[in-house]
Amino acid sequence: MPDPKPKKEKRGGFLGFVDNLQEIMYGMAAHDMSRYAIRTRASMEHLFILITMGDLIGVPILPPYYSLRLLPYVVPNIATWKRRMLREKDISDAMF
Amino acid sequence: MSLKDVFLQNPNRRYIMFGGKGGLGKTTFSAATAYWLASQGHKVLVFSVDPQASLTDIFQKDIFGKGAVPIMQNLWAQEIDADSHIKNYQGEIRKKILDMYGFDKVPDEIEDYIQAASAEPAMEESAIFDAVVDIVVKGDYDYYIYDLVPLGHALYYLSMAKVYDEWINKITKLREEMREYETMVSRIKREKETDEDKILTELQYIKGRINASSSILTDKEKTAFFFVVVPEEMIILDTQKAAELFAKFDVPIAGYVVNRVLPDELRHQEVPAYLKNRLAMQGGYLEKIKTTLGAQVRGYVPEMERDVTGLAMIEKLAKIMYG
Repeated sequence: MPDPKPKKEKRGGFLGFVDNLQEIMYGMAAHDMSRYAIRTRASMEHLFILITMGDLIGVPILPPYYSLRLLPYVVPNIATWKRRMLREKDISDAMF
Repeated sequence: MSLKDVFLQNPNRRYIMFGGKGGLGKTTFSAATAYWLASQGHKVLVFSVDPQASLTDIFQKDIFGKGAVPIMQNLWAQEIDADSHIKNYQGEIRKKILDMYGFDKVPDEIEDYIQAASAEPAMEESAIFDAVVDIVVKGDYDYYIYDLVPLGHALYYLSMAKVYDEWINKITKLREEMREYETMVSRIKREKETDEDKILTELQYIKGRINASSSILTDKEKTAFFFVVVPEEMIILDTQKAAELFAKFDVPIAGYVVNRVLPDELRHQEVPAYLKNRLAMQGGYLEKIKTTLGAQVRGYVPEMERDVTGLAMIEKLAKIMYG
């Protein structure tokens, strides 16, 4: 997993005000968009693991030889992916 | 055109394959061809993609899993040990996981997957496929002679390149789409760079290897595929069917070599009824081969007085095949 990005240091005075304003504008305009993009990206990640590592939950895939090469990179995502693939869908899925 | 002419007229050929049903003489012809090319001064590697390889038997030298073993001047032979190739590969994967995450041991679930994937029936073929890529991309030899597996398997082997190619294209595309989302998020968040996608890099590496292999299999200038047939009905029919399938995979078929032809002089001798019947039967099928395959037949090789093993017999056969 990549290291989390270091937080930007808070600046004071007028520059701080500009920073805050930027954050507010981002929150108003782009946060939703980026959240949506991140979610789509996460769904795709799960689809990707399904296609390459399907064997882990009994979906036969072709060809296992080269998917092994990818295994090290998806190790941290496997637990979440399995949970997602195997959980039953209910009404809350539509709500959240 | 004789076999010899095929080689003389196509000096750019580098990859020679003999295919056909089991037990018709693929290994024998591979060995004899390798012997002839080596004696012409070319550097030759003959290698087997068959898990039950028989190069060890024909050269009477244990070469299984020992890499390229020198047989005589200019000639090397190699039998791929798929099992140990898979074991090493598994080891590399485990080591990578441990190194990447600093684990003491591979998590059980992941270990189970590594074990299960390696038990897949396709694994052995895939491992050999991968080992062959290693051998041919190095480009150390003038000629590579593939001693192929029997037809059904060979088709599988050939189609594997195509299946891999389609699979890898699909997932690479998906990965690239994912990448677009990632860069979009960083753009919105005004981050300068997104981390390199290691999976994409890995996919591109795999793609390169598969392309190297499939481009060889379909290269009309560098590759020649010969079918081995014997004058018997079922063999002729099966070979024709296989040839159609091979053509679909764009494999450049360079001709047919007929093996186990009973010596012609027997016809003019007093022979027992059993042999007479065999001669008549072969005569009929040889006619059939001439009418159906005609100009594509590169040679007729007689039934030898004994099985071909050891360099002396290989030399004898090479003389018959290449004059």
